[in-house]
Amino acid sequence: MGLRDAVIAGYAETKITQRSGSDPYALAGDIVNSLLVRTGFEKAEVDGLIMSPSLTAARTTFWAQCVAEFLGLELTYCDTTDLGGCSPAAGVARAAAALDSGMCSTILLINADTPTTEYNFANYSFHEEWADPYGLKGPPGSFGLLSRRYEHQYGLDYCALGKLAVTQRTHALLNPNACEKLRTPITMDDYLNSRMISEPIRLLDCVMPADGANGLLITRREIAVERGLDRYIVPIGYGEMTNLGGAHSLVDITRTGHRSAGERAFAQAGLRPSDIKSFHPYDDFIIAIMLQLEMLGFCEPGQGCKYVKETNFNYDGDLPLNTGGGQISAGQAGFAGGGTNLIEAVRQLFGEGGARQVKSTDNALVTGIGWIPYARNWGSSVALILAPEAGGR
Amino acid sequence: MIRLNDTLEVPQSVNDPYGFSEPYWRASRERRLLLQFCKESQQFQFYPRPMSIATGRQTLEWREVDGRGEIYTYSVTHRGFGPFEGHEPYAVVIVRLDAGVDILSNLVHCEPADLRVGLRVKPFWKPLADGRHLLLFAPDESSGDASL
Repeated sequence: MGLRDAVIAGYAETKITQRSGSDPYALAGDIVNSLLVRTGFEKAEVDGLIMSPSLTAARTTFWAQCVAEFLGLELTYCDTTDLGGCSPAAGVARAAAALDSGMCSTILLINADTPTTEYNFANYSFHEEWADPYGLKGPPGSFGLLSRRYEHQYGLDYCALGKLAVTQRTHALLNPNACEKLRTPITMDDYLNSRMISEPIRLLDCVMPADGANGLLITRREIAVERGLDRYIVPIGYGEMTNLGGAHSLVDITRTGHRSAGERAFAQAGLRPSDIKSFHPYDDFIIAIMLQLEMLGFCEPGQGCKYVKETNFNYDGDLPLNTGGGQISAGQAGFAGGGTNLIEAVRQLFGEGGARQVKSTDNALVTGIGWIPYARNWGSSVALILAPEAGGR
Repeated sequence: MIRLNDTLEVPQSVNDPYGFSEPYWRASRERRLLLQFCKESQQFQFYPRPMSIATGRQTLEWREVDGRGEIYTYSVTHRGFGPFEGHEPYAVVIVRLDAGVDILSNLVHCEPADLRVGLRVKPFWKPLADGRHLLLFAPDESSGDASL
Protein backbone atom coordinates (compact mmCIF):
# COMPACT_ATOMS: atom_id res chain seq x y z
CA MET A 1 0.00 0.00 0.00
CA GLY A 2 2.17 2.81 -1.30
CA LEU A 3 -0.22 5.61 -0.47
CA ARG A 4 -0.31 4.87 3.25
CA ASP A 5 3.46 4.64 3.54
CA ALA A 6 3.66 8.39 2.99
CA VAL A 7 3.01 10.62 5.98
CA ILE A 8 2.47 14.35 6.35
CA ALA A 9 4.83 15.41 9.10
CA GLY A 10 3.90 19.08 9.15
CA TYR A 11 2.07 21.90 7.45
CA ALA A 12 2.59 25.63 6.99
CA GLU A 13 0.43 28.48 5.75
CA THR A 14 0.80 32.22 5.31
CA LYS A 15 -1.95 34.68 5.93
CA ILE A 16 -3.97 35.35 2.77
CA THR A 17 -3.79 38.96 1.61
CA GLN A 18 -4.60 41.05 -1.45
CA ARG A 19 -1.84 42.89 -3.32
CA SER A 20 0.78 41.70 -0.86
CA GLY A 21 3.64 43.15 -2.90
CA SER A 22 5.38 39.83 -2.34
CA ASP A 23 6.21 37.09 -4.84
CA PRO A 24 6.00 33.27 -4.97
CA TYR A 25 9.70 32.76 -4.20
CA ALA A 26 9.54 34.84 -1.04
CA LEU A 27 6.39 33.11 0.12
CA ALA A 28 7.83 29.68 -0.74
CA GLY A 29 10.84 30.59 1.38
CA ASP A 30 8.57 31.46 4.29
CA ILE A 31 6.78 28.12 3.91
CA VAL A 32 10.00 26.07 3.80
CA ASN A 33 11.33 27.88 6.86
CA SER A 34 8.10 27.16 8.76
CA LEU A 35 8.02 23.51 7.70
CA LEU A 36 11.62 22.87 8.77
CA VAL A 37 11.17 24.68 12.10
CA ARG A 38 8.00 22.80 12.85
CA THR A 39 9.13 19.31 11.89
CA GLY A 40 12.76 19.50 12.96
CA PHE A 41 13.93 18.23 9.57
CA GLU A 42 17.15 19.67 8.17
CA LYS A 43 17.11 21.15 4.68
CA ALA A 44 19.75 18.60 3.64
CA GLU A 45 17.28 15.81 4.38
CA VAL A 46 14.86 17.14 1.76
CA ASP A 47 15.38 15.43 -1.60
CA GLY A 48 12.00 15.96 -3.24
CA LEU A 49 10.03 19.04 -4.33
CA ILE A 50 6.52 19.18 -5.74
CA MET A 51 5.18 22.59 -6.77
CA SER A 52 1.70 23.66 -7.70
CA PRO A 53 1.66 25.99 -10.70
CA SER A 54 1.61 29.73 -10.18
CA LEU A 55 -0.30 32.43 -12.04
CA THR A 56 2.45 34.87 -11.16
CA ALA A 57 5.19 32.51 -12.34
CA ALA A 58 3.25 31.43 -15.43
CA ARG A 59 5.86 32.93 -17.75
CA THR A 60 8.52 30.43 -16.72
CA THR A 61 8.45 26.85 -17.91
CA PHE A 62 11.18 25.97 -15.41
CA TRP A 63 9.07 26.67 -12.33
CA ALA A 64 9.95 23.85 -9.93
CA GLN A 65 13.62 23.99 -10.97
CA CYS A 66 13.72 27.75 -10.32
CA VAL A 67 12.24 27.29 -6.87
CA ALA A 68 14.83 24.61 -6.14
CA GLU A 69 17.60 27.02 -7.11
CA PHE A 70 16.20 30.01 -5.24
CA LEU A 71 15.83 27.90 -2.09
CA GLY A 72 19.11 26.00 -2.46
CA LEU A 73 17.49 22.56 -2.60
CA GLU A 74 19.41 19.58 -4.03
CA LEU A 75 16.83 17.10 -5.27
CA THR A 76 16.44 13.60 -6.63
CA TYR A 77 12.81 14.34 -7.48
CA CYS A 78 11.47 17.70 -8.72
CA ASP A 79 8.14 18.32 -10.39
CA THR A 80 5.14 20.61 -10.89
CA THR A 81 1.67 19.13 -10.66
CA ASP A 82 -0.13 20.59 -13.64
CA LEU A 83 -3.77 20.18 -12.58
CA GLY A 84 -4.78 23.75 -11.81
CA GLY A 85 -6.74 23.97 -8.56
CA CYS A 86 -6.39 20.21 -8.05
CA SER A 87 -2.63 20.47 -7.85
CA PRO A 88 -2.14 20.74 -4.06
CA ALA A 89 -4.35 17.72 -3.21
CA ALA A 90 -3.09 15.79 -6.25
CA GLY A 91 0.44 16.65 -5.14
CA VAL A 92 -0.03 14.60 -1.98
CA ALA A 93 -0.78 11.49 -4.05
CA ARG A 94 2.13 12.22 -6.35
CA ALA A 95 4.39 12.63 -3.33
CA ALA A 96 3.28 9.22 -2.08
CA ALA A 97 3.98 7.68 -5.49
CA ALA A 98 7.42 9.27 -5.64
CA LEU A 99 8.28 8.08 -2.11
CA ASP A 100 6.94 4.59 -2.82
CA SER A 101 8.99 4.25 -5.99
CA GLY A 102 12.16 5.17 -4.14
CA MET A 103 12.84 8.33 -6.14
CA CYS A 104 13.18 10.36 -2.93
CA SER A 105 12.57 10.13 0.79
CA THR A 106 11.36 13.53 2.04
CA ILE A 107 9.34 15.95 -0.03
CA LEU A 108 8.34 19.59 0.24
CA LEU A 109 4.95 20.19 -1.37
CA ILE A 110 4.73 23.94 -1.92
CA ASN A 111 1.86 26.06 -3.20
CA ALA A 112 2.71 29.76 -3.54
CA ASP A 113 1.06 32.37 -5.73
CA THR A 114 0.64 36.15 -5.79
CA PRO A 115 -1.75 36.86 -8.70
CA THR A 116 -3.11 40.07 -7.15
CA THR A 117 0.42 41.46 -7.14
CA GLU A 118 1.52 40.15 -10.55
CA TYR A 119 -0.68 38.17 -12.95
CA ASN A 120 0.91 36.46 -15.94
CA PHE A 121 -1.54 33.75 -16.91
CA ALA A 122 -2.26 33.18 -20.62
CA ASN A 123 -4.42 30.53 -22.25
CA TYR A 124 -2.98 28.32 -24.97
CA SER A 125 -6.19 26.45 -25.57
CA PHE A 126 -9.62 26.69 -27.22
CA HIS A 127 -10.44 30.02 -25.58
CA GLU A 128 -9.13 32.47 -28.17
CA GLU A 129 -10.97 30.77 -30.99
CA TRP A 130 -14.13 29.31 -29.44
CA ALA A 131 -14.95 31.08 -26.16
CA ASP A 132 -13.51 34.62 -26.05
CA PRO A 133 -15.40 35.71 -29.21
CA TYR A 134 -18.64 35.13 -27.29
CA GLY A 135 -17.74 37.15 -24.21
CA LEU A 136 -17.77 34.14 -21.91
CA LYS A 137 -16.84 35.67 -18.57
CA GLY A 138 -14.22 33.14 -17.47
CA PRO A 139 -15.12 30.78 -14.64
CA PRO A 140 -18.19 32.80 -13.47
CA GLY A 141 -19.61 32.52 -17.00
CA SER A 142 -19.03 28.79 -17.12
CA PHE A 143 -20.53 28.27 -13.69
CA GLY A 144 -23.52 30.40 -14.74
CA LEU A 145 -24.12 27.99 -17.63
CA LEU A 146 -23.65 24.98 -15.36
CA SER A 147 -25.97 26.38 -12.67
CA ARG A 148 -28.77 27.18 -15.12
CA ARG A 149 -28.72 23.67 -16.54
CA TYR A 150 -28.73 22.18 -13.03
CA GLU A 151 -31.71 24.36 -12.20
CA HIS A 152 -33.52 23.13 -15.32
CA GLN A 153 -32.91 19.47 -14.49
CA TYR A 154 -33.40 19.46 -10.74
CA GLY A 155 -34.49 22.88 -9.49
CA LEU A 156 -32.16 25.10 -7.50
CA ASP A 157 -32.92 26.53 -4.07
CA TYR A 158 -30.76 29.63 -3.70
CA CYS A 159 -31.34 29.62 0.05
CA ALA A 160 -29.47 26.30 0.21
CA LEU A 161 -26.53 27.84 -1.62
CA GLY A 162 -26.77 30.88 0.64
CA LYS A 163 -26.58 28.63 3.68
CA LEU A 164 -23.24 27.27 2.46
CA ALA A 165 -21.95 30.80 1.82
CA VAL A 166 -22.98 32.02 5.28
CA THR A 167 -21.53 28.94 7.02
CA GLN A 168 -18.16 29.35 5.33
CA ARG A 169 -18.08 33.07 6.15
CA THR A 170 -18.78 32.26 9.80
CA HIS A 171 -15.77 29.95 9.74
CA ALA A 172 -13.54 32.60 8.17
CA LEU A 173 -14.27 34.85 11.16
CA LEU A 174 -12.54 32.19 13.28
CA ASN A 175 -9.54 31.86 10.93
CA PRO A 176 -6.79 34.43 11.53
CA ASN A 177 -5.15 33.44 8.21
CA ALA A 178 -8.24 34.35 6.19
CA CYS A 179 -8.08 37.56 4.16
CA GLU A 180 -9.14 40.43 6.43
CA LYS A 181 -11.38 41.92 3.77
CA LEU A 182 -13.58 38.82 4.02
CA ARG A 183 -13.62 38.54 7.82
CA THR A 184 -16.95 40.31 8.18
CA PRO A 185 -20.22 38.42 8.73
CA ILE A 186 -22.71 37.98 5.90
CA THR A 187 -26.41 37.12 6.09
CA MET A 188 -28.68 35.13 3.78
CA ASP A 189 -30.04 38.44 2.46
CA ASP A 190 -26.52 39.65 1.72
CA TYR A 191 -26.00 36.49 -0.35
CA LEU A 192 -29.33 36.65 -2.19
CA ASN A 193 -29.00 40.39 -2.88
CA SER A 194 -25.37 40.37 -4.00
CA ARG A 195 -25.10 41.58 -7.58
CA MET A 196 -25.35 39.23 -10.53
CA ILE A 197 -22.14 38.51 -12.42
CA SER A 198 -23.26 35.79 -14.86
CA GLU A 199 -26.80 34.72 -13.94
CA PRO A 200 -27.46 32.91 -11.74
CA ILE A 201 -23.92 33.37 -10.35
CA ARG A 202 -23.85 36.19 -7.83
CA LEU A 203 -20.86 38.03 -6.43
CA LEU A 204 -21.04 36.04 -3.17
CA ASP A 205 -20.93 32.76 -5.12
CA CYS A 206 -17.43 33.61 -6.32
CA VAL A 207 -13.92 33.42 -4.93
CA MET A 208 -11.97 36.63 -4.51
CA PRO A 209 -8.40 36.52 -5.86
CA ALA A 210 -5.60 37.01 -3.33
CA ASP A 211 -1.95 36.21 -2.58
CA GLY A 212 -0.75 33.48 -0.28
CA ALA A 213 1.18 30.26 0.19
CA ASN A 214 1.03 26.98 2.02
CA GLY A 215 2.80 23.65 2.06
CA LEU A 216 3.40 20.25 3.55
CA LEU A 217 6.43 18.20 4.48
CA ILE A 218 5.80 14.62 3.40
CA THR A 219 8.11 11.77 4.26
CA ARG A 220 8.20 8.00 4.56
CA ARG A 221 6.48 6.41 7.51
CA GLU A 222 9.66 4.71 8.72
CA ILE A 223 11.47 8.04 8.77
CA ALA A 224 8.68 9.65 10.79
CA VAL A 225 8.71 6.74 13.23
CA GLU A 226 12.50 6.78 13.50
CA ARG A 227 12.43 10.49 14.34
CA GLY A 228 9.84 9.89 17.04
CA LEU A 229 7.18 12.22 15.60
CA ASP A 230 4.21 11.91 17.93
CA ARG A 231 1.52 12.49 15.31
CA TYR A 232 1.38 12.58 11.55
CA ILE A 233 -1.30 12.56 8.89
CA VAL A 234 -1.66 9.72 6.41
CA PRO A 235 -3.33 9.73 2.98
CA ILE A 236 -5.61 6.67 3.09
CA GLY A 237 -7.63 7.09 -0.11
CA TYR A 238 -7.23 8.95 -3.38
CA GLY A 239 -8.99 9.22 -6.72
CA GLU A 240 -8.51 11.47 -9.71
CA MET A 241 -10.38 12.11 -12.97
CA THR A 242 -9.48 14.41 -15.84
CA ASN A 243 -11.72 15.13 -18.85
CA LEU A 244 -14.69 12.99 -17.84
CA GLY A 245 -16.51 11.75 -20.95
CA GLY A 246 -13.74 13.10 -23.13
CA ALA A 247 -14.52 10.76 -26.03
CA HIS A 248 -18.13 11.90 -26.27
CA SER A 249 -19.57 14.98 -27.94
CA LEU A 250 -22.58 15.20 -25.61
CA VAL A 251 -22.27 14.95 -21.84
CA ASP A 252 -24.43 15.94 -18.88
CA ILE A 253 -22.86 19.18 -17.63
CA THR A 254 -24.10 18.53 -14.09
CA ARG A 255 -21.99 15.34 -13.72
CA THR A 256 -18.45 15.73 -12.46
CA GLY A 257 -15.39 13.53 -12.21
CA HIS A 258 -15.84 13.42 -8.44
CA ARG A 259 -18.22 10.45 -8.82
CA SER A 260 -15.46 8.22 -10.12
CA ALA A 261 -12.65 9.85 -8.14
CA GLY A 262 -14.67 9.63 -4.93
CA GLU A 263 -15.60 5.97 -5.42
CA ARG A 264 -11.95 5.04 -5.75
CA ALA A 265 -10.89 7.17 -2.79
CA PHE A 266 -13.59 5.72 -0.52
CA ALA A 267 -12.86 2.13 -1.63
CA GLN A 268 -9.15 2.57 -0.95
CA ALA A 269 -9.85 4.10 2.46
CA GLY A 270 -12.46 1.48 3.35
CA LEU A 271 -14.91 4.26 4.23
CA ARG A 272 -18.30 5.52 3.10
CA PRO A 273 -19.42 9.16 2.84
CA SER A 274 -21.32 8.81 6.12
CA ASP A 275 -18.01 7.99 7.85
CA ILE A 276 -16.42 11.32 6.93
CA LYS A 277 -15.80 13.57 9.94
CA SER A 278 -15.00 16.83 8.17
CA PHE A 279 -15.29 17.90 4.53
CA HIS A 280 -12.91 20.35 2.85
CA PRO A 281 -14.08 20.63 -0.75
CA TYR A 282 -12.44 22.87 -3.32
CA ASP A 283 -14.73 25.88 -3.52
CA ASP A 284 -14.30 28.22 -6.45
CA PHE A 285 -18.08 28.71 -6.57
CA ILE A 286 -20.68 27.85 -3.95
CA ILE A 287 -22.58 25.48 -6.24
CA ALA A 288 -19.39 23.45 -6.71
CA ILE A 289 -19.67 22.42 -3.06
CA MET A 290 -23.20 21.14 -3.58
CA LEU A 291 -22.32 19.29 -6.78
CA GLN A 292 -19.45 17.58 -5.00
CA LEU A 293 -21.74 16.49 -2.16
CA GLU A 294 -23.91 14.81 -4.81
CA MET A 295 -21.10 13.29 -6.84
CA LEU A 296 -19.18 12.03 -3.81
CA GLY A 297 -22.29 10.21 -2.60
CA PHE A 298 -23.34 12.25 0.44
CA CYS A 299 -26.69 12.48 -1.37
CA GLU A 300 -28.18 11.57 -4.74
CA PRO A 301 -27.81 13.77 -7.84
CA GLY A 302 -30.48 16.45 -7.71
CA GLN A 303 -30.87 16.14 -3.94
CA GLY A 304 -28.06 18.52 -3.03
CA CYS A 305 -30.23 21.45 -1.96
CA LYS A 306 -32.36 19.23 0.26
CA TYR A 307 -29.26 17.66 1.81
CA VAL A 308 -27.68 21.07 2.41
CA LYS A 309 -30.79 22.39 4.15
CA GLU A 310 -30.96 19.31 6.41
CA THR A 311 -27.27 19.26 7.38
CA ASN A 312 -25.39 21.34 9.93
CA PHE A 313 -22.07 22.26 8.32
CA ASN A 314 -20.70 24.30 11.22
CA TYR A 315 -17.32 23.28 12.62
CA ASP A 316 -19.15 21.68 15.55
CA GLY A 317 -22.01 20.31 13.42
CA ASP A 318 -22.87 17.08 11.54
CA LEU A 319 -20.42 17.52 8.68
CA PRO A 320 -17.96 20.34 9.35
CA LEU A 321 -17.39 22.15 6.02
CA ASN A 322 -14.31 24.16 5.03
CA THR A 323 -13.75 25.12 8.63
CA GLY A 324 -11.29 27.89 7.75
CA GLY A 325 -13.84 29.58 5.49
CA GLY A 326 -12.81 27.81 2.31
CA GLN A 327 -11.38 29.79 -0.54
CA ILE A 328 -14.60 31.73 -1.00
CA SER A 329 -14.38 33.25 2.47
CA ALA A 330 -10.62 33.10 3.08
CA GLY A 331 -9.56 34.32 -0.38
CA GLN A 332 -8.21 32.37 -3.36
CA ALA A 333 -4.45 32.57 -3.39
CA GLY A 334 -4.21 31.75 -7.11
CA PHE A 335 -3.15 28.17 -7.74
CA ALA A 336 -2.10 27.91 -4.09
CA GLY A 337 -5.82 28.18 -3.32
CA GLY A 338 -6.44 24.43 -3.43
CA GLY A 339 -3.94 24.23 -0.60
CA THR A 340 -6.23 26.34 1.58
CA ASN A 341 -8.75 23.49 1.77
CA LEU A 342 -5.98 20.88 2.10
CA ILE A 343 -4.05 22.66 4.87
CA GLU A 344 -7.21 23.25 6.89
CA ALA A 345 -7.98 19.50 6.81
CA VAL A 346 -4.43 18.68 7.95
CA ARG A 347 -4.57 21.35 10.66
CA GLN A 348 -7.82 19.90 11.99
CA LEU A 349 -6.41 16.36 12.03
CA PHE A 350 -3.41 17.59 14.02
CA GLY A 351 -5.98 18.94 16.51
CA GLU A 352 -4.80 22.49 15.91
CA GLY A 353 -8.09 24.02 14.74
CA GLY A 354 -8.19 26.38 17.73
CA ALA A 355 -11.53 28.16 18.08
CA ARG A 356 -12.89 26.16 15.16
CA GLN A 357 -11.56 22.72 16.10
CA VAL A 358 -13.83 19.92 14.86
CA LYS A 359 -15.03 17.31 17.34
CA SER A 360 -13.76 14.23 15.53
CA THR A 361 -10.31 14.03 13.99
CA ASP A 362 -10.77 10.43 12.80
CA ASN A 363 -10.51 11.49 9.17
CA ALA A 364 -11.10 14.33 6.69
CA LEU A 365 -12.03 14.48 3.01
CA VAL A 366 -10.31 17.04 0.78
CA THR A 367 -11.11 17.63 -2.88
CA GLY A 368 -9.73 19.52 -5.84
CA ILE A 369 -11.21 21.10 -8.94
CA GLY A 370 -9.01 22.15 -11.83
CA TRP A 371 -9.62 23.98 -15.10
CA ILE A 372 -12.81 24.47 -17.07
CA PRO A 373 -13.05 22.80 -20.47
CA TYR A 374 -15.22 23.80 -23.46
CA ALA A 375 -18.97 23.81 -22.66
CA ARG A 376 -18.62 21.11 -20.01
CA ASN A 377 -18.23 20.65 -16.31
CA TRP A 378 -14.82 21.25 -14.74
CA GLY A 379 -11.72 19.57 -16.16
CA SER A 380 -10.11 17.69 -13.27
CA SER A 381 -11.56 16.30 -10.06
CA VAL A 382 -9.65 14.77 -7.17
CA ALA A 383 -10.70 13.31 -3.83
CA LEU A 384 -8.20 12.72 -1.01
CA ILE A 385 -9.03 11.13 2.34
CA LEU A 386 -6.65 11.77 5.23
CA ALA A 387 -6.41 10.22 8.69
CA PRO A 388 -4.09 10.91 11.63
CA GLU A 389 -1.86 8.34 13.27
CA ALA A 390 -0.11 8.49 16.58
CA GLY A 391 3.63 8.11 16.04
CA GLY A 392 6.34 7.27 18.52
CA ARG A 393 8.84 4.47 18.43
CA MET B 1 -37.87 44.24 -18.14
CA ILE B 2 -34.28 44.57 -19.26
CA ARG B 3 -33.40 44.09 -22.92
CA LEU B 4 -30.67 41.72 -23.95
CA ASN B 5 -27.87 43.24 -25.98
CA ASP B 6 -27.38 41.39 -29.26
CA THR B 7 -23.62 42.07 -29.12
CA LEU B 8 -23.65 42.76 -32.87
CA GLU B 9 -21.87 46.06 -32.21
CA VAL B 10 -19.04 44.43 -30.25
CA PRO B 11 -15.85 44.93 -32.28
CA GLN B 12 -14.46 41.45 -32.79
CA SER B 13 -11.74 39.61 -34.57
CA VAL B 14 -11.12 35.91 -34.12
CA ASN B 15 -7.72 34.27 -33.98
CA ASP B 16 -7.61 30.71 -35.32
CA PRO B 17 -4.19 29.51 -34.26
CA TYR B 18 -4.64 25.82 -35.09
CA GLY B 19 -4.59 24.67 -38.70
CA PHE B 20 -7.11 21.88 -38.22
CA SER B 21 -10.01 24.33 -37.88
CA GLU B 22 -9.29 26.03 -41.22
CA PRO B 23 -12.13 24.26 -43.17
CA TYR B 24 -14.64 25.53 -40.60
CA TRP B 25 -13.56 29.14 -41.03
CA ARG B 26 -13.33 28.87 -44.82
CA ALA B 27 -16.95 27.63 -44.97
CA SER B 28 -18.03 30.44 -42.65
CA ARG B 29 -17.22 32.88 -45.46
CA GLU B 30 -20.25 31.41 -47.25
CA ARG B 31 -22.28 31.18 -44.04
CA ARG B 32 -22.06 27.39 -44.20
CA LEU B 33 -21.58 25.35 -41.03
CA LEU B 34 -19.08 22.52 -41.43
CA LEU B 35 -18.46 20.08 -38.58
CA GLN B 36 -15.98 17.27 -38.21
CA PHE B 37 -17.67 13.86 -38.45
CA CYS B 38 -16.05 10.61 -37.33
CA LYS B 39 -16.83 7.96 -39.93
CA GLU B 40 -16.12 5.11 -37.52
CA SER B 41 -18.08 6.24 -34.45
CA GLN B 42 -20.69 8.14 -36.53
CA GLN B 43 -20.26 11.08 -34.14
CA PHE B 44 -19.97 14.76 -34.99
CA GLN B 45 -17.54 16.70 -32.82
CA PHE B 46 -17.04 20.36 -31.96
CA TYR B 47 -14.79 22.34 -31.69
CA PRO B 48 -12.43 21.04 -34.41
CA ARG B 49 -9.73 18.66 -33.17
CA PRO B 50 -6.60 17.16 -34.71
CA MET B 51 -8.21 13.68 -34.57
CA SER B 52 -11.42 11.91 -33.68
CA ILE B 53 -12.12 12.20 -29.96
CA ALA B 54 -13.83 8.81 -30.21
CA THR B 55 -11.20 6.72 -31.98
CA GLY B 56 -7.98 8.64 -31.44
CA ARG B 57 -7.33 8.31 -35.16
CA GLN B 58 -7.91 10.59 -38.13
CA THR B 59 -11.19 8.91 -39.07
CA LEU B 60 -12.70 12.31 -39.81
CA GLU B 61 -14.41 14.09 -42.66
CA TRP B 62 -16.09 17.52 -42.82
CA ARG B 63 -19.87 17.52 -43.25
CA GLU B 64 -22.27 20.41 -43.61
CA VAL B 65 -25.16 20.66 -41.14
CA ASP B 66 -28.09 23.10 -40.96
CA GLY B 67 -27.11 24.20 -37.47
CA ARG B 68 -30.54 23.99 -35.89
CA GLY B 69 -30.85 22.95 -32.31
CA GLU B 70 -32.02 24.06 -28.90
CA ILE B 71 -30.71 25.98 -25.93
CA TYR B 72 -29.04 23.47 -23.58
CA THR B 73 -28.26 26.17 -21.04
CA TYR B 74 -27.68 29.92 -20.90
CA SER B 75 -26.29 32.67 -18.69
CA VAL B 76 -27.08 36.36 -18.88
CA THR B 77 -23.77 38.14 -18.38
CA HIS B 78 -23.78 41.37 -16.38
CA ARG B 79 -20.03 41.88 -16.17
CA GLY B 80 -18.65 41.79 -19.68
CA PHE B 81 -15.28 40.50 -20.73
CA GLY B 82 -12.78 42.33 -22.96
CA PRO B 83 -14.55 44.07 -25.86
CA PHE B 84 -17.89 43.04 -24.35
CA GLU B 85 -17.49 45.56 -21.52
CA GLY B 86 -20.26 48.13 -21.85
CA HIS B 87 -22.45 45.80 -23.92
CA GLU B 88 -24.11 44.05 -20.94
CA PRO B 89 -26.41 42.34 -20.39
CA TYR B 90 -25.95 39.72 -23.08
CA ALA B 91 -26.81 36.03 -23.34
CA VAL B 92 -24.08 33.40 -23.49
CA VAL B 93 -25.61 30.07 -24.45
CA ILE B 94 -24.70 26.47 -25.07
CA VAL B 95 -26.69 25.25 -28.08
CA ARG B 96 -27.21 21.51 -28.42
CA LEU B 97 -27.32 21.00 -32.17
CA ASP B 98 -29.64 18.38 -33.63
CA ALA B 99 -26.47 16.95 -35.18
CA GLY B 100 -25.26 16.06 -31.68
CA VAL B 101 -22.70 18.62 -30.58
CA ASP B 102 -22.73 21.41 -28.01
CA ILE B 103 -21.67 24.87 -29.21
CA LEU B 104 -20.91 27.86 -27.02
CA SER B 105 -22.26 31.07 -28.53
CA ASN B 106 -24.40 34.18 -28.09
CA LEU B 107 -28.14 34.42 -28.62
CA VAL B 108 -29.45 37.40 -30.63
CA HIS B 109 -32.88 38.77 -31.48
CA CYS B 110 -34.42 37.23 -28.37
CA GLU B 111 -36.64 38.89 -25.79
CA PRO B 112 -35.57 38.08 -22.23
CA ALA B 113 -39.01 36.57 -21.54
CA ASP B 114 -38.47 34.04 -24.34
CA LEU B 115 -35.02 32.94 -23.18
CA ARG B 116 -35.27 29.46 -21.72
CA VAL B 117 -33.67 26.03 -21.80
CA GLY B 118 -35.16 24.10 -24.72
CA LEU B 119 -35.78 27.14 -26.96
CA ARG B 120 -35.37 26.14 -30.63
CA VAL B 121 -32.66 28.15 -32.38
CA LYS B 122 -31.01 28.48 -35.78
CA PRO B 123 -27.68 29.95 -36.92
CA PHE B 124 -27.21 33.70 -37.26
CA TRP B 125 -23.92 34.57 -38.96
CA LYS B 126 -22.29 37.79 -37.81
CA PRO B 127 -19.88 39.19 -40.44
CA LEU B 128 -16.26 39.67 -39.36
CA ALA B 129 -14.07 42.33 -40.98
CA ASP B 130 -11.98 39.73 -42.86
CA GLY B 131 -14.92 38.09 -44.68
CA ARG B 132 -15.34 35.20 -42.29
CA HIS B 133 -18.46 34.95 -40.11
CA LEU B 134 -18.97 34.31 -36.42
CA LEU B 135 -21.62 31.69 -35.62
CA LEU B 136 -24.33 33.13 -33.37
CA PHE B 137 -27.85 31.81 -32.86
CA ALA B 138 -31.34 33.34 -33.03
CA PRO B 139 -34.78 31.97 -32.12
CA ASP B 140 -36.10 29.64 -34.84
CA GLU B 141 -39.57 30.95 -35.70
CA SER B 142 -40.10 28.09 -38.15
CA SER B 143 -39.95 25.56 -35.33
CA GLY B 144 -43.59 26.12 -34.30
CA ASP B 145 -42.37 26.92 -30.81
CA ALA B 146 -45.50 28.06 -28.99
CA SER B 147 -43.60 30.61 -26.94
CA LEU B 148 -42.60 32.70 -29.95
